[in-house]
Amino acid sequence: MKTEGVEVVLNGTCHLVDRGTRISRLLTPSHGVSMICGGKGVCRKCRVRAWGELSPLTDREKECFTKEEQQAGYRLACCTTVEGPCRILTDSPGHSRICAEGVMPDFRWDPCFTDYGAAIDVGTTTLALHLYDRCSLRAEVAAPNPQSVFGGDVISRITQSLEGKGAELSTCIRQALSSLLTEGAVKAGIPVTAIDSMVITGNTTMLYLLTGRDVRCLSQAPFEADHLFGETLTAEELELPCRASVYLTPCISAFVGGDITTALLASGIYQSEHTAMLADIGTNGEIALFHNGELLCCATAAGPAFEGAGLSMGMTGMTGAIDRLTVEGRRLRCHVIDEAAPIGICGSGIVDAIACLLKLEQLDETGRLMEDPVVLDGEVRLTGQDVRMIQLAKGAIRAGMETLLHYARISAEDLQELAIAGGFGRYIDVGNAAAIGLIPTVSADRVRVLGNAALVGADMILLDKRAALQASAIAAQTRTVELSGDPVFRDQYVENMGFWNDENG
Amino acid sequence: MVKELVQQAIDQGIPAQDILEQGLLSGMGMIGEKFKNNEVYVPEVLVAARAMNMGTALLKPLIAEAGIESVGKVCIGTVQGDLHDIGKNLVKMMMEGKGLEVIDLGTDVPPEKFVEAVVENGCQIICCSALLTTTMGVMEEVVKAVEAAGLRDKVKVMVGGAPVTDAYCQQIGADKYTADAASAADAAVELCRELAG
Ligand code: B12
Repeated sequence: MKTEGVEVVLNGTCHLVDRGTRISRLLTPSHGVSMICGGKGVCRKCRVRAWGELSPLTDREKECFTKEEQQAGYRLACCTTVEGPCRILTDSPGHSRICAEGVMPDFRWDPCFTDYGAAIDVGTTTLALHLYDRCSLRAEVAAPNPQSVFGGDVISRITQSLEGKGAELSTCIRQALSSLLTEGAVKAGIPVTAIDSMVITGNTTMLYLLTGRDVRCLSQAPFEADHLFGETLTAEELELPCRASVYLTPCISAFVGGDITTALLASGIYQSEHTAMLADIGTNGEIALFHNGELLCCATAAGPAFEGAGLSMGMTGMTGAIDRLTVEGRRLRCHVIDEAAPIGICGSGIVDAIACLLKLEQLDETGRLMEDPVVLDGEVRLTGQDVRMIQLAKGAIRAGMETLLHYARISAEDLQELAIAGGFGRYIDVGNAAAIGLIPTVSADRVRVLGNAALVGADMILLDKRAALQASAIAAQTRTVELSGDPVFRDQYVENMGFWNDENG
Repeated sequence: MVKELVQQAIDQGIPAQDILEQGLLSGMGMIGEKFKNNEVYVPEVLVAARAMNMGTALLKPLIAEAGIESVGKVCIGTVQGDLHDIGKNLVKMMMEGKGLEVIDLGTDVPPEKFVEAVVENGCQIICCSALLTTTMGVMEEVVKAVEAAGLRDKVKVMVGGAPVTDAYCQQIGADKYTADAASAADAAVELCRELAG
């Protein structure tokens, strides 16, 4: 950083920055400020408070903030530049149960809808929607996927569908999307019928169930999807309450779906100059690697341990979940969401807990707990069996990464960027994730946390007419590495089941 | 390391059977116990099994020479449509660690293949592994195929894998379920004894 810069105090920390720097450029994902529109001043999500020598209020900001808010120092980070010494405060990142936020790269604003458009991510566990008008984001809604009553993971839903519940499953998701659209429209103050275009992204199974296709081909080896979408239907065909055209994003293979295509689109890694990896750390654990102009991907089937499921006291990131642990003195210190009494532990807490227990030598590198179970806070414990489940999940994700690196003939040191997508990825401590070997050790400035990149990519298709073509190109160009029966994966899996990280060997 | 120790023992004139049972298999038995108690996990078991295999490779010709019979014969495979094999491999190693002879049919094994293996090799036990709720059902077909081949009273069918439960085992008419590989090996030895007695 240049020494002749001006002094900016950001959340109490002093930085020297060049005059004319946009506030948004000073923010990192840890500040929890989202920039959905990628700094175009349209989504109005990047509120911060700032005082001192700043650029004058823009029209957008005058529209966006009340007089009182303006007096209180509210600004949009993407519209405000630093003109001299100043002070900036970001509001502490709030915890939402469902992550509908993400970071969007630069793109051309040229929406494919006439009046209102909706982008929807149909996740296995959660649904999220963004509703736009021609200028800006108008509403954001999220809800759990009600198909969960048919089973938590895609295979269970496929099983149910094969057992004759296919129609029920598709009705279930169509109704859920209808309510989501209606809720979004109400929030935006428009009739739902005013939505004239939609982009729906999701994993291959979710799109099969939504469109009512036969899922048999997804149920057994060799797992070859007989349809990969990337097509436009009508809302009527999907029994959705408007007259919109509905674009279903192109899938890459049976277990690498349209959600990964859109996450890739949002990550932008496929058009960068450097070698980069994208990891969506969820139940299915998809990884993509971009190297030398080629895209490789795989699905690691990690299981839901990092989503809190399958652990004795695991839970999603909601009130009462331990979400952060640190070592203070020789003891564990836990943070609980909403400062409530602890009732369980969520994904980010699990990563921290393992890292802290390793540091305290209450857990050895093979995954053996010195004391089983170990008490984390109050009644919340971690059992030996829990640790084993975490080993299975984290080993699978890391092994997937290493397998792709192996086939590209490079190693983790060659990664110039590691982008982490997904709701869980948004809250993890990157240093601890490396300490437990979930991700390779790369310097912190190479790690980028994207949030709900699948939805952001869908937004981009909605907001930039050319993006659908890009999505198709990504899907067509990406090669899936099949991990079943792959000897490299199997070796890497066993090797990465323990908690040896790159530093301790 | 293990190889050298085994060679040393052979050179000292210790009977192959003793080296195997008191050296290698008892070591593997200890690992099995620790695995059951969650004290060691998959990587440690695999390392131990690799070491054991190196040792047994040296002993095999000697044991064959001495005409010592194995505890029993088992065939194992991951069922049709399923390619998960890490758990199956562990079961195989633990069973070998108990002195059982194990024929590995690999993954994606259709029911007929299990039956063929029994007919060709005279196995007492069929072990089926399944990790997917969509492929678990194939285990029932294996039981039916065994019945259809008229072998139901001659062979026992063991089932396992993460989604499998004892209740499911009983529901499909299989003979034995265990939750982990070490218990699977103990159970297999037990079943062989029953069949012999
Ligand atoms: C590793 C893994 C893979 C690897 C497999 C590599 C390999 N060579 O085996 C890869 C990435 C290739 C893979 C692929 C898939 N997988 Co997978 N996979 C897993 C994972 C992470 C661990 C499985 C494992 O190895 N466990 C370790 C071993 C040691 O345990 P185990 O197999 O249970 O065995 C023990 C016992 O069960 C017992 N046992 C085992 N067999 C037997 C047999 C007998 C007779 C007995 C008595 C006992 C016994 O002994 C063992 C040791 O104690 C699990 C999730 C998890 N966290 O468990 C998912 C999981 C099993 N996979 C799943 C899925 C969906 C898939 C895919 C369909 C999707 C995908 N994303 O690619 C494909 C299908 C591939 C195929 N055709 O089979 C789902 C299944 C969900 C369901 N409802 O059925 C799981 C549960 C993850 C999830 N929740 O989504 N997978």
